[in-house]
Amino acid sequence: MGRTEADADGPEPTRAAVRDRLDRVTDPELDRSIVELEYVDGIEIDGRRVEVEITLPTAWCSPAFAWMMTVDARDEVATLAAVEVVRITLREHMHEAEINRGVNERRSFAEAFPDADGDVEAVRAELDEKARVARQYDATEALLEAGLDGEAITGLRLADLEPLEADGTPDDGEATGSFAVYVADRSFVVRVPRAPIERYLEKARETDLVSEADDVLFRTPEGEPIDPNSFDLVHRRGRLATVNMSSQGGICDGLREAREKRLEESADD
Amino acid sequence: MYQHNGEEIFVIDAHVHLWDATEENIQHDGGEEFIRCFYDYHTTFTPEERQWGMDEYRYYGPDRMLEDMFGNAAVDMGIFQPTYLSDFYEEGFNTTEQNAELATEYPERFVLNGSFDPRDADPGIEYLEELHEKYDIPGVKLYTAEWRGDSKGWRLDDEEAFRFLERCEELGIENIHTHKGPTIRPLNRDAFDVKDVDDAASSFSGLNFIVEHVGLPRLDDFCWIAGQEPNVYGGLAVAAPFAQNRPGKFSEIMSELLWWLGEDRVLFGSDYALWNPDWLVEEVMEAELTEEHRTEYGVEWDLETKRKVMGENAAKLYDIDIEAKRRQFQEDEISQRFGLEDHYAGGEPAAADD
Repeated sequence: MGRTEADADGPEPTRAAVRDRLDRVTDPELDRSIVELEYVDGIEIDGRRVEVEITLPTAWCSPAFAWMMTVDARDEVATLAAVEVVRITLREHMHEAEINRGVNERRSFAEAFPDADGDVEAVRAELDEKARVARQYDATEALLEAGLDGEAITGLRLADLEPLEADGTPDDGEATGSFAVYVADRSFVVRVPRAPIERYLEKARETDLVSEADDVLFRTPEGEPIDPNSFDLVHRRGRLATVNMSSQGGICDGLREAREKRLEESADD
Repeated sequence: MYQHNGEEIFVIDAHVHLWDATEENIQHDGGEEFIRCFYDYHTTFTPEERQWGMDEYRYYGPDRMLEDMFGNAAVDMGIFQPTYLSDFYEEGFNTTEQNAELATEYPERFVLNGSFDPRDADPGIEYLEELHEKYDIPGVKLYTAEWRGDSKGWRLDDEEAFRFLERCEELGIENIHTHKGPTIRPLNRDAFDVKDVDDAASSFSGLNFIVEHVGLPRLDDFCWIAGQEPNVYGGLAVAAPFAQNRPGKFSEIMSELLWWLGEDRVLFGSDYALWNPDWLVEEVMEAELTEEHRTEYGVEWDLETKRKVMGENAAKLYDIDIEAKRRQFQEDEISQRFGLEDHYAGGEPAAADD
């Protein structure tokens, strides 16, 4: 019998719940969900035990990136109360043995790869920062579209944002409404779509740039507040970060397609 | 020369190899992995009917290379960029000496670059001097992620690397090509990180730093550095074949490059035999920027820009006189071999050639 949403309150985790957790794991280089990128090949649920199979676009995808994705997948699934054991299996990777053993035995990257110098945290931090810059571009585009200019945007602080329900009433939950953005000492307000701002805030918090109400909302790629005169250049750099990610996405997509074609051909032989 | 809407464009392929990845030459698993990884890139960005088999991809030899490059006159000249990988391949993968086989036979058609590895210390300096004396190399190709014993790579801003760059400057070896491409190995060491180019380029303003593969997947870091360092250039290898199966992405990448670097600092390269100029040149020449990108970036991929990117920019770096070359190619051995004499005869209508 297939598992359905009806199991949600039962003792076993549902496929949908597992998928939802995995959807929060991103390819750190592309800043896109591993579910959306179709890296997740299989989810097996047996009681409270969950097995996830992952295949990356090529066998020689950076082991550091492979490590981050498999560790994140493990940790996301483990947050479900109904899950007791998570097992991640990375397939078709030149370092799958080290990674599978390391991730499932909860070793550190340095333990799993004694040859590598140091841990993956520095690489992760750098990629997070790039993702933040790219998301800032999308958020800023939404604000420009709403009619704000560079000077207003560079002056925004976290306290100037207020989430609204679709009907315009204040809201603190996960609604699909919009944000009210207060500008020029709260002398006027504009409404902007919620998704790009929310996505930006998520990364800005992760990278410890924005947490207090008084914090400046947007920053240069180096993490400094933006001089209004440099707004255009910083915005260009944000655009560049999005192009870089989607270009690499094009390479990964291509490699995955080529690999799938090879597998199909060998299956036909 | 490429015929584009009745205009002739002189094409210098600034990134070609003559490699040997035959099984007999491989002495380390890394060698096999390396050529397989190349082959993945080849098949991913090559039209299906133009894909090679693995065996011919391992070794294609000088005759095939001449045919691919010059047979249909898609390319007029090529610049060899060596890749040693001496730990992986017994005789090296694509060394200056291997490339010299063709380059010394057809010096009018090829530029021969050398290479150095700062981890070789004094003997490395001596080898660089030897390459200078023997081949008068005008440039070097550097592979910062190459394995050497326990070392998994080096940086262009290492003290030892600076010693080699100083020697290059003294010897007049002005063009420093650095491979800055996708991370394949080794593990988490980010050996293709592009940031080391920044310090090297500002410390050696007399040298030109050509970042191959425009830093992908670090296009952002690369463009930012190149925007500030006037002696940093971008080599299009890897980005070029996007024109074929990811035209929208090609348009976007090219727009970024033209916006940050301008049309004088981008160089075409096929990365042969990763991709073959006999189809790639046409794909890039006929590619168009989308209306949206042209408006957003205010840049054009027009005839003048194509002339620069496809040939003139490399000609400037390598002191190549395009008009003199054109006259020379009316009767050189390659033109005779492929029946291209008329093709290079000035003033002949484009319809006169094949």
